[in-house]
Amino acid sequence: MSASAEIAVEASPQLGVQHGTTRSEKGWMVTKHIILFIAILSVWEIASRREWIDSLIYPAPSGIVQQIWFIYFEAGTVWVHLGFTFAEALSGLFIGSMIGIALATAAALSLRFREYLKPYIIVVEATPRIAVGPLFIAWLGFGFSSKVALASLVCFFGPFVNTLTGLLNIDQEAEEMFRSMSATKWQTFWGLRVPNSATILMAGLKLGCASAFGGALVAEFISANVGMGVLMARYTYILNMNGAFATLLSITLFAFLLFKFADFVDYHIVYWRSDKLMQGKSIKRKAAFLNGLEGQ
Amino acid sequence: MTDITSIAELEKNAELAETGWARFGMHILIFMFIVGGWELLGVFKQLNDLLLPPPSEIGGDFFDMWFVTGRVWWHFFVTMIEATAGFFIGVTIGTSLAVAAAVSPLFRRYLAPYAVAFNVTPGIAVAPLIIAWFGFGWSSKIALATLVCFFSPFINTLTGLLYTDEEATELFRSMRANRTQYFWKLQLPSATPLIVAGLKLALTGALLGAIVAEFFSASEGIGILMQRFAFKLDIGSALATLLSMSLMGLMFFTITEVLDFKLVFWRRDSRMQAISKKRKAAWNTGDE
Repeated sequence: MSASAEIAVEASPQLGVQHGTTRSEKGWMVTKHIILFIAILSVWEIASRREWIDSLIYPAPSGIVQQIWFIYFEAGTVWVHLGFTFAEALSGLFIGSMIGIALATAAALSLRFREYLKPYIIVVEATPRIAVGPLFIAWLGFGFSSKVALASLVCFFGPFVNTLTGLLNIDQEAEEMFRSMSATKWQTFWGLRVPNSATILMAGLKLGCASAFGGALVAEFISANVGMGVLMARYTYILNMNGAFATLLSITLFAFLLFKFADFVDYHIVYWRSDKLMQGKSIKRKAAFLNGLEGQ
Repeated sequence: MTDITSIAELEKNAELAETGWARFGMHILIFMFIVGGWELLGVFKQLNDLLLPPPSEIGGDFFDMWFVTGRVWWHFFVTMIEATAGFFIGVTIGTSLAVAAAVSPLFRRYLAPYAVAFNVTPGIAVAPLIIAWFGFGWSSKIALATLVCFFSPFINTLTGLLYTDEEATELFRSMRANRTQYFWKLQLPSATPLIVAGLKLALTGALLGAIVAEFFSASEGIGILMQRFAFKLDIGSALATLLSMSLMGLMFFTITEVLDFKLVFWRRDSRMQAISKKRKAAWNTGDE
């Protein structure tokens, strides 16, 4: 790899667009994307002004930007709502993933438990879980707890299935090696299964992030006084589509930021996937080991 | 959303002491234990009727809804139509976009950022906007169902079509297959497992989208029925409706399993052998 060329991966690797590009090539591609985006926005704006499309229902981008400025900085109304929704989603994520991971660990440790839990899990998965929203509101009232409950129910599944898969699908040879060194069941669990499942567990948590947000929002749609979902519902009902879009964009932005934060945490917890972090850890551990030796 | 079969097939080699009928009996026993314990709590007046009515009451409400007043059939039917319509539309759009993106790298490159942005937006959050755009009727439910179930088929089809086996591709090229033959004979069949997996996720998503749209503004549909029961604090009927929704979900799940069984026949040994035999017989009779 020469110093002047940097390998860049475009967009999402899932979309199969992976190729090496130089910095200037990448810059040109980004420019093309930006041009296309501005073109789309301009067409939308013109269509809205000329009434080709109903400007009430499909608001012009300028109106949306104006509303964003208004709700964030002039009236400042949105921060409270944002805070609440975020708190609900995060609490739901925490509770849901804790329960999911706990159940998955228990299921991984005991074949019997796993076997008899299976039908209930399949039924829970087949039910549209968000549909339980009104029931939770009837049970827990209109406040914070019903939103947290729905968010946890919705995001329970990602971490559960992923943790279970990660804990169970271990490399046969590695397991045999552990057994040949007469490792106890607990040693195998902590030394082999848990690190093996780390990657897929983090992937499950990321899935949970998105679901928790969705669950909190839906619970707010149904009935709440404060939260981004409420804000969006209100704007839509009074046909302030600018505001509704502005709220939607904020939700998207913060969900994206949460996802990026989860990525960051993932990068640091599953450190062995990155050469740089791995080397750092190795150096530290080697130093600690040598210090330990010297002490003897 | 996750693939249910991954749980069902997690380890085929594990063995429980009890197998076959004994295992089934254990399942039934455990279920009766849970339901029985619950019922006992009700008998001893330990349950708050507003929170969790005893199973007998739920069963009674379920029977009522389905067979006595029969009010639930129409709602069930409406939601199913909405979900299915949303599924078909979403899958069509998703797969066609994915096929276009797989075939044309230029289209794919320009579509990529929008697809990623689309994925990041919680689809459910768009519900109020959809209601405002499409009005209170069926179309808003179908639209939300389409939106929610669009992404899985799209990304799965695209991934499946792009990651075709290198060596198989070279084989086709060495036999001078043209683009169309390559697409229909290699790319599409090898992508089928992933496509079907995407369809499974889509069906669940479509049902979810239809129900959530109903919460917002509907007069008919199983989602709004449950909401009405819950808000009237008729929790027994609400739970019975939830049970009906589970049944609907399980029904969809079974349909997708059947689809998977028929379309992706090469994954199951018994099925593969059956298809092989059929094709061999057809080929032989063709010779004669």
